[in-house]
Amino acid sequence: MIESKQETRGGWLVVAVKGRADAEAADELEAALRSAIDQHSKVAADLSALDYISSAGLRAVLQAARAAQPKEVEFAVCGMSAPVKKVFDMSGMHQLLTIHGELPC
Amino acid sequence: MTAATAEFCRQHKLSEDVESDLNLVLEELFVNSIRHGGCQGVEHAAEAQFTMRPDGVHLEYADRGAEFDLTQAPARDLTATLAERAMGGLGIHLIRQIMRDIEYHRLGGWNRIRMRRPIPAEGT
Repeated sequence: MIESKQETRGGWLVVAVKGRADAEAADELEAALRSAIDQHSKVAADLSALDYISSAGLRAVLQAARAAQPKEVEFAVCGMSAPVKKVFDMSGMHQLLTIHGELPC
Repeated sequence: MTAATAEFCRQHKLSEDVESDLNLVLEELFVNSIRHGGCQGVEHAAEAQFTMRPDGVHLEYADRGAEFDLTQAPARDLTATLAERAMGGLGIHLIRQIMRDIEYHRLGGWNRIRMRRPIPAEGT
């Protein structure tokens, strides 16, 4: 189960994601992030209400980051809960995703 | 599956961190069985058993999917750029980060995997 909502904050389109980013929810997560990337030049995924992420969820975030590159959309991930941060750290994705200085979350 | 893991962790007074690791490892194994092992729609295609021992939680996982030795899968290149990085192999990479003493056997049409989540966690 995953829910997401969009909000504009400080020049960023923030996608607040809530629930579990598992194999079942991954496509929905990727679609929500891609839709934001199509609409705005600065997109932040706020993961503070995300309880769980697996490789399928990570892949969704990576695919969104990939989609942002050719469009020159700034894409950032912020507000990770402890269990989600642990999985991001283990994946080595911190090296791949640019975390920008002034984020809206 | 997550309910059974939660119950096991409650019984053995394990932390949320351990429970979260075990849920992740089970999901990764199960998704591999379904997506790559051809277990989609197969009845009783996979089973898992946790056992608490002094050196941590031991997991025995088995599936009836295509033969696949997880211990022989190539390591991921974590230095690759976003554009270069292949999307596969991330689940196995996470399992290897969390679990130790991973053993694989093919027996009677089943993939059988044993592994251990050390408690406390060992540095990766």
